[in-house]
Amino acid sequence: MAVIPPQPRSNKLRACLLCSIVQLPSDFKRNGCPNCDDILQLKGNVDRVNSCTTALFEGVIAVVDPDNSWVAKWQRTSQKVRGIYAVRVRGRVPEDVEAELQDRGLKYRPRDQTEQD
Amino acid sequence: MSDYDDDDLGLDGDGEEQQVTQTSRKGKEKARHRDDDDEEQALREDRDDDDDDEEDEDDEEEEDRGQQPKKRKRRKIAVNSFLDVYAEVSDDDEEEEEEDEEVEGFMYDDADDAVNGDTTRRQHVLLDNRRQQREEKTAEQIAKDLTERYGGIRAAPRYTGDLNDVPQRLLMPSVHDAGLWQVRVKPGRERDIVFSLMRKSIDMEYTAHPLSILSAFQRESLSGMIYVEARSQKHVQQACNGLVGVYLSKGVHLVPIEEMASLLTIKKQDVTVTYGMWVRIRKHPKYGGDLAQVIIPGDGIEDVAVRLVPRIDMNPPEETSMLDPSKKRKKAVAVVGAARPPQKLFNVEEVAKAYSRKSIISKLGGEIVFQGETYKNGFVEKDIKINNLILDDVQPTLDEISMFMSAKDGSKQDDLGIQLRDIAESSRKAAIAVLQPGDNVEVFEGEQAGIHGVVEEISGEVVTITAMGVDIEGQKLEIPARSIRKRFKQGEHVKVMAGMYTDETGLVTTVQDDKVTFLSDLSMTTITVFAKDLRIAAEVGTGTNTIGNYELHDLVQLDAATVGVIFKTERDSFRVLDQNGKVLIVKPHQISMRRDSSRAIASDAEGHELRANDNVKEVDGEQRKGRVLHTHQSFYAFLHNREITEHGGVFVARARSLVSLAPKGNALKNGGADLSKMNPAMMGGGMVGSGALGRGPRDRHIGVTVMVTKGPHKGYGGTIKDTNGNTARVELRTGNKMISIDKDKLRKIAPNGDLLFLHQNAPPGNNSSNNNNSNSNAWGAPPSWTNSGGASGGRTPFQGSSSKTPNPYAVGGGKTPAWAPGSRTPNPYAAESGKTPAWNAGSKTPNPYADGGRTPAWNVSSRTPNPYATGANAGASSGTAYGGATPARSWDASANSSSGWLGAGSDGSATPRQSSWGNDWVSAPTPAAAATPGFNVGLTPAFGALTPAAAQTPAGVFNSAASSATPAASGGYALAANDNRTLESDWLFDPAVVPHHPRIKIQLLGTHVANYLGGEYEQQKGKVIAGNKAPSGYEQTATVLFESGEQRSVVARYIAAVPPSHNGEEVLIAGGKQKGAIMVVREDPDDETVTVSSRSNPGAVFAVPKELLIALYDEKA
Repeated sequence: MAVIPPQPRSNKLRACLLCSIVQLPSDFKRNGCPNCDDILQLKGNVDRVNSCTTALFEGVIAVVDPDNSWVAKWQRTSQKVRGIYAVRVRGRVPEDVEAELQDRGLKYRPRDQTEQD
Repeated sequence: MSDYDDDDLGLDGDGEEQQVTQTSRKGKEKARHRDDDDEEQALREDRDDDDDDEEDEDDEEEEDRGQQPKKRKRRKIAVNSFLDVYAEVSDDDEEEEEEDEEVEGFMYDDADDAVNGDTTRRQHVLLDNRRQQREEKTAEQIAKDLTERYGGIRAAPRYTGDLNDVPQRLLMPSVHDAGLWQVRVKPGRERDIVFSLMRKSIDMEYTAHPLSILSAFQRESLSGMIYVEARSQKHVQQACNGLVGVYLSKGVHLVPIEEMASLLTIKKQDVTVTYGMWVRIRKHPKYGGDLAQVIIPGDGIEDVAVRLVPRIDMNPPEETSMLDPSKKRKKAVAVVGAARPPQKLFNVEEVAKAYSRKSIISKLGGEIVFQGETYKNGFVEKDIKINNLILDDVQPTLDEISMFMSAKDGSKQDDLGIQLRDIAESSRKAAIAVLQPGDNVEVFEGEQAGIHGVVEEISGEVVTITAMGVDIEGQKLEIPARSIRKRFKQGEHVKVMAGMYTDETGLVTTVQDDKVTFLSDLSMTTITVFAKDLRIAAEVGTGTNTIGNYELHDLVQLDAATVGVIFKTERDSFRVLDQNGKVLIVKPHQISMRRDSSRAIASDAEGHELRANDNVKEVDGEQRKGRVLHTHQSFYAFLHNREITEHGGVFVARARSLVSLAPKGNALKNGGADLSKMNPAMMGGGMVGSGALGRGPRDRHIGVTVMVTKGPHKGYGGTIKDTNGNTARVELRTGNKMISIDKDKLRKIAPNGDLLFLHQNAPPGNNSSNNNNSNSNAWGAPPSWTNSGGASGGRTPFQGSSSKTPNPYAVGGGKTPAWAPGSRTPNPYAAESGKTPAWNAGSKTPNPYADGGRTPAWNVSSRTPNPYATGANAGASSGTAYGGATPARSWDASANSSSGWLGAGSDGSATPRQSSWGNDWVSAPTPAAAATPGFNVGLTPAFGALTPAAAQTPAGVFNSAASSATPAASGGYALAANDNRTLESDWLFDPAVVPHHPRIKIQLLGTHVANYLGGEYEQQKGKVIAGNKAPSGYEQTATVLFESGEQRSVVARYIAAVPPSHNGEEVLIAGGKQKGAIMVVREDPDDETVTVSSRSNPGAVFAVPKELLIALYDEKA
């Protein structure tokens, strides 16, 4: 369960570049990314938060029931926690994260919808 | 599952052992999944399980690297029997791990899919395999698995790229998925509502009625709607119920299944920020909307360094230079909010002058820091968040770019190059949009640079052109749209399609790269625009002749003294030819009003009426012909002739130098003027000064008080406000209602209450003939209304004398000249102000009453400022009488002008005084001219003939400066038998009044209009302390003690008597038979006449016109 940002309009909101969850930077710092902190390690690291999340995202999704939601499935967040996600996030994760993903054998899919398959 | 298999099968395996091993592992996993399902494990747990396995596998892999042979061997044994099956099911090395993840997805998505026999068999094998593997696990492993599975919450769940490998197309929604419902919301609140739904779902999760929605989302590009994923519409409504900004009433619509995915995938084309590109600042106190150039794109995600043309306030507030820099900056921003300084390149000298040199810090590399901003090469360089930049559709104008270009000093050559390239770049997008098949284009970059041709086809960013040229004629080439620009040749006629000069047309004069200069058809100026904004066009002009409320050939008032005709409309301005023939360029806001001259009449060289749309010719000069567009003040005529090129064919001429081309009024043409026709008296109600007799611009019935005698409004009284043919618009006295009614149903109400036919007893002017003791015949002159109109005209407005409003309706029945009710003479403006102030202003406006009096326009043109003269022009004769009288501040003058005329008789004496109230005498420039009969082309002799007696009468009057001469003069006239009803102009110095000077109440009137003493004394009351008649030619003055205690000398003509205001007041009768007598008001002086009686004999009451009464201060005072 992610922290739901209190201010929808806040331009401080940031989206995780990996899972596209939307939170306040302070929440990212306090709790890390609820989905991918294991790899991004945002918790307690402001620089990391800045490099792995972005304010440039478009569209928000309230994922209430990730397991059954087609939207979540389509957005590839169905295995993620409930919370607010961005539809589209601009930018890529830092290279070290990409490398880490590759090491783990995970395919990195940028959230900017540039790649379609 | 089948998908997965298909994928795998589709891949060509290379039969390597390892792959086989791994595939088999997959198989095992699948089998395990099945098991899990059977065991009814929660999904998440299941996933954790997977994770565990993955870890295992990872471990295994690591091991693989180290001790491959051993492991492989074991595996090989395990899967040996399936080797042949899996040999064909192979995969790339890199993907193998990810496919493990994929498997998981398939378990949920596609487990139900039909499987063919082969796969079924394989599943069984996998299952078996899986079980086998599990059995192979050591007890420790299993224990570890279990603890991991159930042993509490892990802080950070392991990141898994779930579903990452499933191609998006396989995630398309199916009928089993919940629907997406479109919900209308308040635009701008989409995101808030999505958040609200999220919170609401969480809050209500454990209540009795949890929300049943699965998700909700919003896109910036889909304004005013959100999409809610739910199983049924009811769930959506339940969820959205009570949220502010949701328009459930607009309905909740199910999104068709095939459109669901596109809702999440549509996107705007991203613009990547590149070095040198043009951007626009979105919001900034100083630079909002300004063009900027990217100098450091950054990561294209957050901050972008741009340079801008600075806006530095060169008039800093004084204290700024004293304060420390930090405060200064703050201040500067605050100041900027009001009106931002203009764009100007940074100039050290100028800034040093405006601020202090200390505030400028020079750095290496030509950088200057000023007020915390960095300036380089004259630009200010700033880091701006990309959110605050407009990247799309920047459309830099040539002006803006040239501002950047102008800063060459210090810029390196490549900088400039970049700029040029970027102009093309910036217009690239637009270029695609503006290109059309058939356009002439040229290729300006790339291999085919220089080729030109015609656009055949446009698809995306590729344009197919048919090349033109000697050796490649007719070849079809595909060129990127960005490399193409429109091509124009000199002499082509083009039209601007976009930008500042939209709709301008013109001929191309020069073409330089993509900048085209053309000569505008409209303004005859050269305009340079980008080629992309141009299109070849045949049409000329703006296509519209209207800007705002004004259109071509309108007569417009520019200022008090200037009118003109629009002869050309430009983009946002007009060219106007004014009455003096000058050409003015005016903006719509400079035009104070449009004039309607459709009813204006001027007289031409032959004294004929000249109106708009007449075809005329000049009698002198160039003898130009033209159609009258407008006439102005009967003097100027604006003509139009298509054949004249100058000023769009519009020219101005004097009305009196024009003759009509159309043969009209032939009889009149012969032998000059037909005086009998001109003679109003002979015309019997006709018009003076115009050949078109009887065609007055306004119906003379307008203003007549009438009674409705038929129809539903029978019995109602009212006033005719307008007429049209045989119908009249009558304003009823009751209910403030306007009705249209047949004139036949109206009867004029005579002052004595009789009802008369509208036409019966001559026009309203003739009302005066209803005077108690006079009728038209009494004049001994033709009983024309004009004559009597004159007489009454003279009187009417002045009934009130000093009173402010000559209220025609207030006239008492018997005593008052009956004429008043029907009168149209009183100038309403005069009435309102009591000082006829409007007149001066109106000296340019035809007095409506002039019209009402059917005054031919000539009178207006005479510019007589005297309304009464104008009004009186109802009858030329009386008009003249006034004209003569009006100026008569000096008696001589009035005597002169009046004397030749049908005297206004007794009125004559009254008039001058009125005029002294009525208007600013000084401003009456040429009353004599107005009055002069000669003005009317010698039409007037007849008048003189009519009233020989008058000639003598006024003479007598005026010569005897004592001025009481009136009665005598008018003796011969019925009218003269009347009491004098108005004060004479020099009443103040009347011997009968002079002794009472210290007691009479006077007030100053008319000073506002004349701006006498700044108008400060207007309506100040007081008494005359001393006053002497000055010799003729000098202003009369009197020393007045105002009630305020102030004492000063005042020009006598502004001194007006204060009429009695209450019963019992002592009054002085200043005119008439009882002149000089002091009486006491016996009735409230509400009426035009006041009942008075002397103190000594209260029983003998008299009715005296109120105007003749002057209130007195108490004797003691």
